[in-house]
Amino acid sequence: MTEPRPPARFAIGNSSDIVTARQAARALSAHLGFGKAHQTRLATAVSELTRNVIQYAGEGSCLIEDLSDDQERVIRISIEDHGPGIPNLPLAMEDGFSTSGGLGAGLPGARRLVDDFHVSSAPGLTRVVIAIRKPA
Amino acid sequence: MTVSLPQFLQAHRDEMLAEWLAEWSSSSAVGLAATSSTAQTRHVMQTLFDEILSQLMVAPQDPPPGLDEHAPLCKHLRHLAAEQARHPEVATDPMRMMFSLRHLLLRHVSTWIREAGTTPVAEHLVQVNRYFDQIALFVFNNIINLRDRHISEQSLSLMELSTPVLRLWHRILLLPLVGIIDTGRARQVTDHLLEAIARHEARVTVIDLTGVPIIDTSVAQHIMKTIDAARLLGSRVVLTGISPEGAQTLTKLGIRFGDVICRATLRAGIAEALLIIGKRITAMEDQAR
Amino acid sequence: MRIPILRLDRILLVSIQEDLTDDEAMQFQSDLVNRVAEVEALGVAVDITALDVVDSYMARVINDTASMVRLLGAEVVICGIQPFVAMTLIEMGRDLIGADCAFNLEQGLEMLRARIVHRGDTRFTGDEDD
Repeated sequence: MTEPRPPARFAIGNSSDIVTARQAARALSAHLGFGKAHQTRLATAVSELTRNVIQYAGEGSCLIEDLSDDQERVIRISIEDHGPGIPNLPLAMEDGFSTSGGLGAGLPGARRLVDDFHVSSAPGLTRVVIAIRKPA
Repeated sequence: MTVSLPQFLQAHRDEMLAEWLAEWSSSSAVGLAATSSTAQTRHVMQTLFDEILSQLMVAPQDPPPGLDEHAPLCKHLRHLAAEQARHPEVATDPMRMMFSLRHLLLRHVSTWIREAGTTPVAEHLVQVNRYFDQIALFVFNNIINLRDRHISEQSLSLMELSTPVLRLWHRILLLPLVGIIDTGRARQVTDHLLEAIARHEARVTVIDLTGVPIIDTSVAQHIMKTIDAARLLGSRVVLTGISPEGAQTLTKLGIRFGDVICRATLRAGIAEALLIIGKRITAMEDQAR
Repeated sequence: MRIPILRLDRILLVSIQEDLTDDEAMQFQSDLVNRVAEVEALGVAVDITALDVVDSYMARVINDTASMVRLLGAEVVICGIQPFVAMTLIEMGRDLIGADCAFNLEQGLEMLRARIVHRGDTRFTGDEDD
């Protein structure tokens, strides 16, 4: 098995950073041998979540880590911002709910695209951690 | 003059081994004795026997030391488990083999205790028992693990086998679904089908549900997703073979296949598909009969 | 980067060749809508074969653009959605893309022509209203 790649952190500040982050996520998943379906799902989830950062907090960061071991290939991506937070998290996780006039597919949509999904939010720190995994 | 247990075991080693081998080969006309060559089994048994015996030579400890996963003993036990996993009809053989050895050893240790007349009797018997408990657990775990892996490998290949996407005609695909569809399989079927649609640029895909015994909410949702995704590629889906029970269940579950074309039989579905691509099947004319 | 819009008689062809940022997507939307009005286009084919990520934002841009174009009296077809992109869109939510779709530009054009032929405003060839 190849050495895990070092973690990569991306600043998210404008709409071209979204493209950079999702392309990096796709490149890593391709490198680790995930299929096209997985690659596309992960890249799309990263796109949704980093766009939320720009839309609601203005800026934040996206950390992409390779946590693979002998048993499993794992990519974990943590997206953080220091914005006002998500006021009603359970509501935000519902399909079709949006405070920004979007389609409301962002959070619940991204959750369906990945294997692990954790979100925590308070004023000053919102963090979404997602992961995809497959047997090595 | 009393004989110590190690001395006693050493003295009777050949006798006990012969007894064990004889008992084993007479007790199992089928199973390991029959499937693997006798010489090979004898070799494995002999090694196991010596390993186990050497463990019993050391003074009893409380609590007894755990099995060393990397010791030669465990290697042989794993080999035994692996050998067994290939022959499911004799699943209990390695355990029976170990139990017969335990029985034999207990009998001999009891004899020694009687002859030597030493006092700490229970200690040695307990040690033998505990030791075999560990061995039994180890073998059992190994067998279970191997089985599990075997089963998941099989279900994976079964999944690939059972979802063929057939080219029915130029730009018409047929997906006959057969059997129970769970979430894992449904997702795989969908990915598989979409790739085929894109590759063949299929205008129409006929999904035949005749072989699906139960259409529940999750199956229905997966079919809906597949239809929607196919539409995004530019292909239409014709559903065939929904049973009357299936239709009732779907409607009661509140699932509407709104603008989906449904036909009762595969035959009607194929006719519909041909119509969509502007073809039809007609009788040959002017043929010599 | 501006996306070139090609004109084939009264049909417009657009092929998006790169991953777009949000700003570029909005630019594309307004460029296309303006061009449709300018040439009184009857049909628009948008080829997105090269897009390997279509998130809900991009889906909305595509959908909105299609609605705007329809309001201007033209037919729209989206061409070349990748199978995995289609699956991802459906996983995120049904109906993210409501426009008609085709495998590739060639079939998209075929579809547009077939529709345009059936429209009242094109039943009469030539310039009868002059």
